[in-house]
Amino acid sequence: MAESTEITSDVLLESSLPTAPLESILCTDELHRRPSRPPDYEKENRALVKLVSALADSPATIFQTLAETILDVTQCDSAGLSLLTRDGKSPDVCGQRFYWPAIAGMWNPHVGGGTPRDFGPCGDVLDQNRTLLFTHFERRYPYLMPVIPAAEECLLVPFYVGGEAVGTIWGIMHSDRRKFDAEDDRIMDSLGKFASSAYQALKHIEDLKIQVSEREKAEAEVRDLARGLEAKIRRLVQANVVGIVMWNLEGVITGANDAFLRMVQYDREDIASGRVRWTDLTPAEWSGHDERGVADLKATGIFQPFEKEYFRKDGSRVPVLLGGALFEGSGNEGVAFVLDLSGQKRAERALRRSETFLAEGQRLGQIGSFSWRVATDEVTWSDQLYRIYELEVGVPVTLELIGTRVHPEDMSLLEKMKMVYQAQGGANSFEWQYRLMMPDHSIKYLHAVARGTRDENGEVEYVAAVQDVTARRVSEEALDKARAEFTHVARVTSLGVLTASIAHELNQPLSGIITNANTCLRMLAGDPPDVDGARETARRTIRDGNRASEVIARLRVLFTKKESTTEPVDLNEAIREVVALSSSELQRNQVVIQSELADGLPTVTGDRIQLQQVIVNLLRNASDAMLGVHDRPRQLLIRTEREDGDRVRMMVRDTGVGLDRQGIDKLFDAFYTTKRDGMGIGLSVSRSIVERHRGRLWAETNDGPGATFSFSIPCGPNTITDRHS
Amino acid sequence: MTCERSLVSVVDDDESVRESLPDLIRQFGFCARAFSSAEAFLASDTLGETRCLLLDISMPGMSGPDLQQELTRRRQGIPIVFITASGDHTVRLRVLAQGAVECLFKPFSEAALFDALNAALRMR
Repeated sequence: MAESTEITSDVLLESSLPTAPLESILCTDELHRRPSRPPDYEKENRALVKLVSALADSPATIFQTLAETILDVTQCDSAGLSLLTRDGKSPDVCGQRFYWPAIAGMWNPHVGGGTPRDFGPCGDVLDQNRTLLFTHFERRYPYLMPVIPAAEECLLVPFYVGGEAVGTIWGIMHSDRRKFDAEDDRIMDSLGKFASSAYQALKHIEDLKIQVSEREKAEAEVRDLARGLEAKIRRLVQANVVGIVMWNLEGVITGANDAFLRMVQYDREDIASGRVRWTDLTPAEWSGHDERGVADLKATGIFQPFEKEYFRKDGSRVPVLLGGALFEGSGNEGVAFVLDLSGQKRAERALRRSETFLAEGQRLGQIGSFSWRVATDEVTWSDQLYRIYELEVGVPVTLELIGTRVHPEDMSLLEKMKMVYQAQGGANSFEWQYRLMMPDHSIKYLHAVARGTRDENGEVEYVAAVQDVTARRVSEEALDKARAEFTHVARVTSLGVLTASIAHELNQPLSGIITNANTCLRMLAGDPPDVDGARETARRTIRDGNRASEVIARLRVLFTKKESTTEPVDLNEAIREVVALSSSELQRNQVVIQSELADGLPTVTGDRIQLQQVIVNLLRNASDAMLGVHDRPRQLLIRTEREDGDRVRMMVRDTGVGLDRQGIDKLFDAFYTTKRDGMGIGLSVSRSIVERHRGRLWAETNDGPGATFSFSIPCGPNTITDRHS
Repeated sequence: MTCERSLVSVVDDDESVRESLPDLIRQFGFCARAFSSAEAFLASDTLGETRCLLLDISMPGMSGPDLQQELTRRRQGIPIVFITASGDHTVRLRVLAQGAVECLFKPFSEAALFDALNAALRMR
């Protein structure tokens, strides 16, 4: 049994070595001595035709068919093939074993079995290189002992391929009912040749099968690879990370992904129509680039990425980077990737713009920048700094060069930086003011703000913004001078106004005095003299003289430079005096004064002159506020009243231009003014005077036109505060 | 009150002027009337009779120059002599340019007044 041969282990092999000598079991010579049966050519031919057609129809079973043919034509009990093999399953001439691919007859169950090369008769047959007839070969090959039924006689014929023995065919008689003869020898010899052909045919078929399967395997691998690549490329196309476009050299765009379509604002239908041509998408000035790309394509099949622009559907342009290749073997069609560079170009523009802005800003602000890297002692100046120093832009900055500009009495910024670095040794900020002395000995004032920083390597770099503040210095000086001059002018002007006011107040009574005196003289010179008339005019002269003297007295009170005095002040009386002195100016401005002074107003304790200054100021402001008013009466209401809590309030209401709500908080700041020729001091001083009287001064807008200014002061003694306390 | 001699009207808000000036004018031999405001003068019946107007410049309400303009508008060709206590020469030049006969700064002399009045009255 096949199994029995398989279980013949190595232990058994020792005892299975050939024992009896070959000659003792051979009886080949007997074949020609025995009486031979007549040849049956008809049967033989049928068998061969059957074999040949079997070889063509079903080569897989050809060995089995061969075995059955042997069985049939030799009338033996078992027939089969033994083939050299390595693996026990497939033929191999270099193998050291035989296997039995096909067995017909009684040994048929042993199909697939076999023996080591020298453990059966086949090995001896191949060694002898001829047909051998064995009798009871189990005496020499104990290995085959278990294979039953035992062989009475066995005829073995070797067969060859290309002169090399590959196996044997054999027939076995298990009993002595029949003996092999010369006719069997002849038939087996021809069947051996057929076996050789079949072997070769099968071998070729096997090789072919292997080749086919290897080819199929390779093709499958290529298919898999292509499928994988295709999936990857499809992923790339559909991800729309980059624009992908397919085209031909005639200029037609044959396909594109959404990313490309978005870039150029076309849709799928536009592409499907075949009307979208890359040649039309390209602005004229870029067509040269395209032509170079096409030349590259024709030469090498690819074109290297380059930048260009496409027209969008709406005629605007999009900057792109594209690169691509012809499809292999196409010669006309290809694919390209397209990157939208708008963002990059925008960023480039923004960067350029901000660089320009910085330079412009530096130029406008007269600010230069300066950096010093401590480790390398590398100094970098901005262009504007060169301009400030009046040096040629870009010349290397050295201490010597700086020395030609920095004022001999001043320390340069670089020296200062080095000093700060040595003292504090790191990232810190400082400001530094120094001067330059230019070759023409003009002076520039520079103000630097410097900051030390450490980079990721711990290296210290100082960066400074350096501003030319010469113009500011000069204008500050000019401003100081102008302010002094202006104050002087203002003082002189107020003096002029005051003089005019005093003159006006005095001229009125003086005019009366002179007129009356003239009239008096004329009356006395008459004939007869009008003595009563003269007496009347003399009396009026005296009255006008007294009026003039009152004016002088009031002026003296108002303008005598007295230290702050504290006395009981009748606010109504103080107001009447101010109104009397201001009336001519108010009249000139066509202001109608209305006074509503409360009866029995308690006195306040304070400085009469200062309070009158406040009143004058409020009246003048009110009058000035109405100068521009022409469409309504210029009315000025002065009112005093007693307030709850033992206070007195004075109010000045005008019908002027009113207050700007935004300016109302600033009204009382020094130098704040809405008047073209005002100094803006009045209200500020007024408020401080009122506050010294423990009062307050405020402004309100009226319901109607104009504004109201009021102050409120406590009554009673000792209300004035000491300025110095 | 009618007056056969030339009527000089005085318009001034200052009472002492209104008291003293008409007396002196009468001493010169003219008739005189006084008004405390331009409005009062315009409202009076002496507009047509007045041969000369002594007119203060600065007055509450309608000023002297305002009255001058108003009279021009009404084609009332009354010669005007302005009187002012302000001593402002630019104002003086302005009113003279507007056709005033003279502008006297208070206090003015008897002679200056007399000359101005005569100059004004000669214009009729």
